[in-house]
Amino acid sequence: MNKSDISNPEHGKTLVLVLTLINVVLVAAVSALQVDATIRANQANRDSQYYAIQVTGSISYSGARSDYDVNTYAVSITNTLEALVAGYTASLRQNANDQQGFEALTLESQYYQAQADRATSLSVLQTDPAYGHGVDQAAANFTAYMDDLTSYGTEMLQKQNVASDAYHHWSNKSDSYVAVLTVLAIAFFLLGVAQMTRPGLRLLFSLFAIGVIGIGSLWTLIVLIF
Amino acid sequence: MENPKAKSDRLEVWIAVLIALVSLTTALATWRTAGLGSKAGDLIYQGFIDEVKRQASATENWRSVYELAGYARDYLVTLDGVIVLENSADPASQEHGAQMRINLLPGMESMGEPLAADPSYLTPEGWLNVQKLFDEMQAKDAQVPGLVPADPQASFTLADKYFSEQRWLVVGTVLIAVSLFWLGLSQLSHLRLRILILVLGIFVYGIGLVWSVGVEVVFFILRGGVM
Repeated sequence: MNKSDISNPEHGKTLVLVLTLINVVLVAAVSALQVDATIRANQANRDSQYYAIQVTGSISYSGARSDYDVNTYAVSITNTLEALVAGYTASLRQNANDQQGFEALTLESQYYQAQADRATSLSVLQTDPAYGHGVDQAAANFTAYMDDLTSYGTEMLQKQNVASDAYHHWSNKSDSYVAVLTVLAIAFFLLGVAQMTRPGLRLLFSLFAIGVIGIGSLWTLIVLIF
Repeated sequence: MENPKAKSDRLEVWIAVLIALVSLTTALATWRTAGLGSKAGDLIYQGFIDEVKRQASATENWRSVYELAGYARDYLVTLDGVIVLENSADPASQEHGAQMRINLLPGMESMGEPLAADPSYLTPEGWLNVQKLFDEMQAKDAQVPGLVPADPQASFTLADKYFSEQRWLVVGTVLIAVSLFWLGLSQLSHLRLRILILVLGIFVYGIGLVWSVGVEVVFFILRGGVM
């Protein structure tokens, strides 16, 4: 024990008190930031899950709609081809002087054509100017149709990704603030030891505490900025 | 004249009482802050349940609508073929068409109801109006209690209000906690410095308390009288 320790055992206690006060303010501020980051993470997580539900619903809807539209298109095309084949075969039978065969196949062609016409009128892919090239053209514009069909789901998916990224961003911040609070708790411990010990060691522990508070402050700034 | 030592001892007792009171307030404020977060979490959970139910109802209705549309399409396509057979000059084909109308079409029509036979379910473009049938199904489901819950956005909005209150209440809690530090410090100090620190502690506590109560009152009003 040196001479100054004996002459003034209270030496350095004011410094410890000031450091403790600084640490308290810092802990209070970081606690508030941690709560704020947690709230933002919770909100982003909620949005992410809400959009995920929307995406799921959109996929189910798209599946049901495309199944109907593509099948209707297929019915139209199949019947059109059946009508063409029957009509062509009818002309072959006519050339072969088979009048009965010609009439039967002509009727069959009309039968299929009537069905094809009705299916075409029901087909969005063939009659909606946004997707259809017209009845006389070979194929519908499936690219435009698929873009339209998936546009809502894609929009929701993009929002879900953004919200999910935001959740991870704020969640990481919240975790970092908890780590900072742990570091500042160590500073509290060091200051408590400094207060209890003799003046020579008090300064040493105070210096350690200053170092830890500095690390905590710097870490808080980094978390706050990035 | 009163002994300064006795005066100091009495002040120490009062400071201890104050510390106990502030500790209690800190605990109360912390409990309320945590409770707000919990309430917001519960509302979000409720909102998710509502949205899943709503989405399940909509998905099932869309599936049903397009299933019916498929049956209705098959009926209408077959019907036009039958008309060709009925109008043909060949008696056998006429009979074939008549038999299809009697034995096949009614069953197909009933499977595609109401899209198959009701012309009001055709759009001006000639397509089956699946949106109209879907809206009708949704409206029908909405009349069944609990089947289609309310829009979850209402739950989410209320949850956001609780989160906002939590955010502001944390400031009050921090102020109260800081005042606890000052009061503790005044207990350890002496003479005039003790009074100064004590006054500072009481001042910070007062601000924290008024702030917290103010936040509580403002958000109570904003939520329309809901705690």
